[in-house]
Amino acid sequence: MQVLKLTVNGKSHEVIVSEHEMLSNVIREKIGLTGTKIGCAQGSCGACTVLVNNEPVLSCITPALRFENAMITTVEGLAENGELHKLQEKFVEKGAIQCGFCTPGMVITALDHVNKHPNTSVHDIKEALSGNVCRCTGYKKIIEAVAEYSKEVQSLKSKVKSPEKTNNKQQTTNGTVGVGRPYIEATKKVQGIADYADDYRFKGALHVKFVRSIYPHAKILDIDTSDALKLQGVRYIATGKELPITFGVLPLSQDETAMAIDKTRYAGEIVAAVAADTEELAAHACKHIKVKYKPLKEFLSIDASLNDIGTAEKIHDTTKFNNNIHKKAELRFGDQQQGLKDAEIVSKMDFEMIGINHGFTEPHASCAVWDENGLTMISATQVTHYLHRALAKTMEVPLSRVRVIKPYLGGGFGGKSDPFAHEIIVAYLARKTGKPVKVCLTREEVFLNNHGRHPSKMTIHLGANKDGTLKVLDADIAIDGGAYGSFGVVTSYYNGVLLQAPYKLNNFGFRTYRVYTNKPQCGAMRGHGAVNSRFAVESLIDDISHRIKMDPVELRMKNFLDSNTLTVGQYRITSNGSRESLQKVADQSDWKNKHGKMPTGHGYGVACGFFISGSALPIIWNELPQSVVHLKVDFDGRVLIASGANDIGQGSDTMLAIIVAEVLGISMDKTFVIAADTLITPVDFGSYSSRVTFMAGNAAKDAAENLRKEIADAVALRITNGDELRMKDLIEEINFSNNKVFSNDKTINLTWDEAIEILVAKRGAVNVSGKYISPKLGGDFKGAGAGLSPSYSFGACVAEVKVDTETGHVKILNVWGAHDCGKALNPLAVEGQLEGSWHMGIGQAISEEMVYYNGLLVNNNFLDYKIPTSLDTPDIHTHIIETMDPEGPFGAKETGEGAIHPVLPAIANAVYDAVGIRITKLPIKAEEVLRLLKEKKSKKEVAI
Amino acid sequence: MIVAEKVYLKPITVDEAIRFAKKYAGSFRYIAGGTDVIVNKFQGNDASDCLIDITGIEELKKVIKDKKHIKIGSLVRLDDLKTHPEIRKLFPALLEAAHSVASPMLRKTATLGGNILCENRCMFYNQSEWWREAVGYCLKCDGEICIATGGKKNCFSKFVSDTAPVLIALNASLEIADGEKEYILPLEEIYSGDGMKPRLLGNSAIIKFINLPLAEEPSCVFKKLRPREAVDFTSLTTAVSKSIKGKIRIVLGGVDPKPILIEGMANEKDELIKQAIKKSRIVDNDTYSRPYRKEMISVFLEQSFEKLNPS
Repeated sequence: MQVLKLTVNGKSHEVIVSEHEMLSNVIREKIGLTGTKIGCAQGSCGACTVLVNNEPVLSCITPALRFENAMITTVEGLAENGELHKLQEKFVEKGAIQCGFCTPGMVITALDHVNKHPNTSVHDIKEALSGNVCRCTGYKKIIEAVAEYSKEVQSLKSKVKSPEKTNNKQQTTNGTVGVGRPYIEATKKVQGIADYADDYRFKGALHVKFVRSIYPHAKILDIDTSDALKLQGVRYIATGKELPITFGVLPLSQDETAMAIDKTRYAGEIVAAVAADTEELAAHACKHIKVKYKPLKEFLSIDASLNDIGTAEKIHDTTKFNNNIHKKAELRFGDQQQGLKDAEIVSKMDFEMIGINHGFTEPHASCAVWDENGLTMISATQVTHYLHRALAKTMEVPLSRVRVIKPYLGGGFGGKSDPFAHEIIVAYLARKTGKPVKVCLTREEVFLNNHGRHPSKMTIHLGANKDGTLKVLDADIAIDGGAYGSFGVVTSYYNGVLLQAPYKLNNFGFRTYRVYTNKPQCGAMRGHGAVNSRFAVESLIDDISHRIKMDPVELRMKNFLDSNTLTVGQYRITSNGSRESLQKVADQSDWKNKHGKMPTGHGYGVACGFFISGSALPIIWNELPQSVVHLKVDFDGRVLIASGANDIGQGSDTMLAIIVAEVLGISMDKTFVIAADTLITPVDFGSYSSRVTFMAGNAAKDAAENLRKEIADAVALRITNGDELRMKDLIEEINFSNNKVFSNDKTINLTWDEAIEILVAKRGAVNVSGKYISPKLGGDFKGAGAGLSPSYSFGACVAEVKVDTETGHVKILNVWGAHDCGKALNPLAVEGQLEGSWHMGIGQAISEEMVYYNGLLVNNNFLDYKIPTSLDTPDIHTHIIETMDPEGPFGAKETGEGAIHPVLPAIANAVYDAVGIRITKLPIKAEEVLRLLKEKKSKKEVAI
Repeated sequence: MIVAEKVYLKPITVDEAIRFAKKYAGSFRYIAGGTDVIVNKFQGNDASDCLIDITGIEELKKVIKDKKHIKIGSLVRLDDLKTHPEIRKLFPALLEAAHSVASPMLRKTATLGGNILCENRCMFYNQSEWWREAVGYCLKCDGEICIATGGKKNCFSKFVSDTAPVLIALNASLEIADGEKEYILPLEEIYSGDGMKPRLLGNSAIIKFINLPLAEEPSCVFKKLRPREAVDFTSLTTAVSKSIKGKIRIVLGGVDPKPILIEGMANEKDELIKQAIKKSRIVDNDTYSRPYRKEMISVFLEQSFEKLNPS
């Protein structure tokens, strides 16, 4: 140990540090500035960037002792007295902040760049930020913020009048819906003072580390913890037998325990957990735990798990047959065999997609505390409600003894939506030790947790007539679920059912097998279930349009479903912006003059998409409304909005405030949102299936309307002294707008505060509720419930690519995207969601993959798992399409997931346009492109 | 205490650093930027108890021009190379190579000396302790066999410095201090070709300067294969230089445990490319397959020759 003197954000510190301690640890743990984040602990993501003596440093890989007497600036120190630095202001104003976890590092990096390169360009900004991973924004708004800041700095320097500044700061009092605005918590995030799960500090907390299986499939013969228990500071070591109760997000597949009990089903599964005084000690103790295994035959591929396994041991003994098939989902409408015979043209292709991971920047973290109120857990979760249920179940306590709190969350994308083993383990260890217990996963552990997109193999037939009318679709799909169920049953259906739109198809069928394999489990990821199969169908459509020599845009236009119609599987389509979306991207990209008209190696591709706007059925069957929102208003006039919905960086807290403010005609500063705390907020099913804006939004709207009624009643009663007849008339006349409550004739002309004074007189604070219950939908056949949603979103993308025919490298130059979100309640946030979706789709299309070697995940870190950097991300052109959904809140529907679907096939179709090869495997690898190019060339030569 | 005593030292002269090294000879590591060593440490691939941080040695941060050379201090950060007009003017390929390393922030910490001494990489080696135990420890971490080759007794971890191939192509030599002696060595001579111990330098040796000769004024073309335009280590680096007399030096990185050097004349293109491919011991330890990387050697070299000798 050594004393280190540092000046951090202008304040001097003397801290005792250990010799090989990293600067990030000193800043976060010793000085207590948790704005500096740890995303990868290897210098690959940039979240830990701080300035040391005015130079940016990756604090997670730099020893603290290097910096004796150094001047350090963290994000918290960029401005003083609670103010924002101009660049921070720009980040807020431009919507460059979503989950906010990359923001501190991003702001520091950008600031250093602009300070040193005042005449920077957009390209140089991209270059400067290329070591900072953002998984939410697609970098677009970040780059805009930095570019605009640098321009303003320059114009200040040259004393030219600064460009007209849009003032977003004024509290608009009217019409909050449809006005683009930063998230309500954006300021906190950009200052680095928003607390994420690992930023919470508890007195005397213990830290947890895990022993993980080194075999993909093995019997556990013995676990010897005796040596580890002897270490001073080790407080408890738990093994699987102590937590035998199974859990899982779906009631149908509660097939997981917190730790492996008798056998392990994937390499990386938790076998034992150590709670110790420090993280370092817990990790050290893990090395002293000896586990004896007897390896079993492992099943690592879809094919191996589909087949009869002979005398080997199944992964789960609960599966029906002598194989590892977890679920078979099949639905058929019409006769596909006949349809394919009758079709004038049939395209058939085999596809193979590798698994991918959510890649959110904040690793999972949880802390658990037990006290007289039972269990309180603060956890990085998308779904407090299901975690609440899983904890009650596994801890064997009533639901009333569990409280789950979601703090600020650094991205989810589906990867934080299951209850997780580590959450159950820390809850258990906290009870066992009587102390608060914390865990924060390493990036490798995040990858082992996975629950990412299922790898899949598909054979798909699409039949059409020569006039371009689509006639029949038959999909044969197998997906690799990994070791446990997760959302897999839903995924199995989604792979098929979500193909029944956006095109009219009366003859449609699919069959999906989901298999267990000895790998980390797969689950829900942005665009859940349908991304890969959508890719396949859009590729087939492209193929057919080429074969019948019809423009692929025209062919799609010809086949779109209309608004207000039913699909073959009885999905109720209400608003439908397919046509507008496709037209928009075709126009913006100059499609007619570009597609098929570029020189070899340069191409344009198009595709469309379709997604649910919230699952109409709850995961755990019950009769609760999908969402409830409470509003409280007291003498101070502020409306407290309480909702169980999880803001995971997508901006749902802001959405709730916008809706309530709109209905009540008040400014945003008269609202306050408290969300995702299962003790305080009413149940919402959580952030999955793109349900929050539609469902929680509708509940908030309902609640606000109820509150408005209460206010109108109270005001009318006061003015009319209880004259019932006059009251009734008057109530109808009352307007809520501009922080005022008034009638047109000004009989009533109150400020909001005056109206609230009347409301709470002799009564006190008023609480009202609102709810959303999905209408009854769908057919009465088995499987009819899959994919039912009160509304659906639609969209389209055009991609422009260049293919290097010597190396096979594909470079995406532009993506034009349009998405029908019903109504953009907050256009700035909608754009952010779209850009993030497209960016994630680009990643899966060109570089992301989870590579296994004998069941071991090879690329389990942010260096080897290739999320596109700012330099790899093309220019994205964003278009919001509004169709005013009849049931969505103010016409709104989903926007977070559906947009991802069209971008991947648009890229692959562009590759076809560029060089005439059909991509059937993702990601699009240079060597595969080259192989296909050669294959094509040799075929051509043979033909000659 | 549960862990061995750790030490962190910050010498301010080369002599002091070497003294420290001798003192902790059993278990020490020099670190400059440390961006490579520290991550290896986290993964348990470096267990040295003593870190000797040499970034306080100001002498090694200079760039000096004499009559015959530009001498670049080994502690010059990759990002700082471009601030030297002479380097910019005379050796643009070196700037390109430096700029292709990792990410902007890493380049503001990582040094030129550190980059040429960057530890060899392999997807079976650059993993956590848990992972390496699960895969069954490869040769490079005290195992029995090379996993990438499915059982060979040699280590083929790849050489990944991007700057070294350019420096070698430009005939760079090193000024090395090791105890009492100081000596000069052509850069290519410090690499052993053995993935287990890829460098031949003495344990306590410190590279002081990287010297680039001025006389031959070679032109040089640099290329790097990687999936993304930033962050990634190389899957294939090529540097091809041509002197005014038409002498060619081809250097490959990322395809062998050491940089591959092929020398010849400008008119021997095909033969030189053939040799380069033949000499590379590529194994499947990378995100790109072995055949593809092999194929790209000739594509990159053809393109480089094209650029050097526009037809």
